[in-house]
Amino acid sequence: MLLIDIVKKMVRVSKALMVKSPAQVDVRYEAMHHPARYRGEHTVDYETCIGCDACNKICPVHAITMKHLPLKKQNIVPEVNLSVCIFCGLCEDACPTKPEKSIVLSGGRYDMLSGGWHEEQNDFWVNVDIPQSYIDSRLEAEDAARVKKEMAAKKRAAQAAAKAEAAKRAEAGEEPKKEQKPFDGTPDFSKGVEG
Amino acid sequence: MKKIKAILENFDTEYVEDYKKIWIKAKLQSSDALLAVAKAVQDEGLRSLSTVSPTDFPDRETIELNYFFEDLQTKRNLWLKCDIPRELEKCEIASLTPLFPGAEWHEREAYSMFGVKFLNHPDLRPIIVSEDFIGKTPFRRDFDWEQHEEDVAKNVQAIVDAFKDEQATNEVNLDPESSETVLNWGPTHPASGPIRLRVHCDGEEIISIDPDIGYVWRALESLVTKKDFVGAIVAVERLCFMDNINSMVGYCMAVEEIAGTEITEFAKWMRVILGEVARISSHFMGLGGFFMNLGLHTLFMWNLGTREFFLDFLESYSGARIATASIEPGGVRYGLDMTMFDELQKALDQFDNTVDDIEMIFVNNPTMKVRAKDVGVLSADEVEDYALCGIVARASGVKTDIRIDEPYAAYDQVDMDYVTRSNGAAADRFKVLFGELKQSVDIIKQAKKRIEEGVASGEFNPTKDHMVKVPKKLPAGEALSRVEWARGEVLMHLVTEEKAKSPYRLKLKAPSFNHTMMLNKLLEGQTLSDIPLVFGSLYVCQGDLDR
Repeated sequence: MLLIDIVKKMVRVSKALMVKSPAQVDVRYEAMHHPARYRGEHTVDYETCIGCDACNKICPVHAITMKHLPLKKQNIVPEVNLSVCIFCGLCEDACPTKPEKSIVLSGGRYDMLSGGWHEEQNDFWVNVDIPQSYIDSRLEAEDAARVKKEMAAKKRAAQAAAKAEAAKRAEAGEEPKKEQKPFDGTPDFSKGVEG
Repeated sequence: MKKIKAILENFDTEYVEDYKKIWIKAKLQSSDALLAVAKAVQDEGLRSLSTVSPTDFPDRETIELNYFFEDLQTKRNLWLKCDIPRELEKCEIASLTPLFPGAEWHEREAYSMFGVKFLNHPDLRPIIVSEDFIGKTPFRRDFDWEQHEEDVAKNVQAIVDAFKDEQATNEVNLDPESSETVLNWGPTHPASGPIRLRVHCDGEEIISIDPDIGYVWRALESLVTKKDFVGAIVAVERLCFMDNINSMVGYCMAVEEIAGTEITEFAKWMRVILGEVARISSHFMGLGGFFMNLGLHTLFMWNLGTREFFLDFLESYSGARIATASIEPGGVRYGLDMTMFDELQKALDQFDNTVDDIEMIFVNNPTMKVRAKDVGVLSADEVEDYALCGIVARASGVKTDIRIDEPYAAYDQVDMDYVTRSNGAAADRFKVLFGELKQSVDIIKQAKKRIEEGVASGEFNPTKDHMVKVPKKLPAGEALSRVEWARGEVLMHLVTEEKAKSPYRLKLKAPSFNHTMMLNKLLEGQTLSDIPLVFGSLYVCQGDLDR
């Protein structure tokens, strides 16, 4: 009996040798428990961000500042001060972009405060580095959109002028009058498409 | 209830109406009648005054005072209001402290925050606030925080000098013939937490204790009014990190009441589960803290080990272990992944594995029994007079538990009973705490079973049912909600304005405030060695003490 007990105990103790002790894990880099929803460091996707300012408005501790871009529309992206942030995740909830949120904490890094030595306060910022090429392409797209809009406006003006002239001519020729609707913006296709 | 109404008939009231099931809401025409009404309802049996909550209305030039009277025996409650003028000179009302001794600190708090003077108050000194706030009214709507910061920067030397003077004159006013001295227990005592007890003692013997609180004052009640209804949860949950879920539940219930939203059954059960997990994680620390104050750290370490498993569940569910921010107006914030219940089961198994050892070694510990048997005894009468709640009240044999008295979330469908003991000593509080730990595990098992059944039968959709939309702008109104927090009753009084985006006023009544008030009474005439024991047994947390 005694011998069996001793063997049993030895087996039990030797089991512990096989398992990696929790104390051996360097928790600065490897978490004991890291679920998918873990609210860690933010990632900001500047390409999908629509610059709606919702994350900034809901942030209860004012950890978010909006970085201005030299663009006309969608010209702000969030940057987060991690030393102020309380990691409540409300900014992620408030973000309206679909299907992927533009600002995400879930599953974020957990080692931002423990990994290594930080010499500067700036290390605690989630900065959004936007390459100049992206801004240029956005500027070009904006330019193109502006040109297109102007062209469309010109076209509309020309159409309206043509229509007014046609009406004048009709009046002068004293043709039988049709009931004229007020111009509602739709081109009059009954006379054939011009140009 | 009829009797209370009949009493109120005798006085000049603006209105008397039923509110919820066990409340009567009434407003007095004039504040002069307050004392007489209070006396009458006290004779009727409403012996506990839960709190005093002023609300500032600068437009109407009034401050509305809300008194919450409770009867812990028959569960009848009265919410009494009256208006007083807002100008600082005329802002006064009769003190209820002579009738309800539990109101003492609450009236001092209203005095420090709103400048309401309570006539005939035995000891109307500022409380919680630091020297730089004395004479100011930080919670009034028109208080200028930026101006205040400038003032502090300008007068910082005077404030420091005043503080040093206070320290230096600690003993000057004492009788030079006697051997009375003042001992500062805390704020850096290992067992104290951020609180300072000015202990007047003669040798070993305690003459009186004057707690100095406010070391972790964050002005949560004011912070909440600067956030929107959803963002306010992060302020409310910081009432205390140990049980953050139940405080959010209370706040969300108040918001839902004003918005008129009914949450889903699934969300109600989730609130039960999450609330009980938070309660367990808090009780573990309370149990460990009790023995730690006795000088034995083993239980605390054991408890923290088991507690980690419960925090794992909270982290999987919400993404954070401590400040979970997981209850929002309209339900619970996240959907449930059923695999998370495996983690909860692991925690429950771990609890079952360790609970017998804890019971054998610590709860039935002969040394503890002898040491804590006759220390810090509270009678049931004192519990009612001082409006104590939670484990402190139940250890003295008072059957009060808001989960049963005024069920919220899904507690009306939970099978549970009051955990009480009769003697009211420190050891009894420890045992009630342990009994409730087991009770919470039992409730979790019930709730877990119910959710699993509901999901299996298709009644609940765990990824979609968790949330009902609550409008961003709420109508004008006010609501009162009570929850049984880990430490006792948390009462929240929420006031909103028309089309409001953020709360107009939120009063947080937290239990540790009343319990710390009892220290002087419990320790008078005892010896210094009892301070950590009694303090630890009251299960006080400085987070909700100062708010």
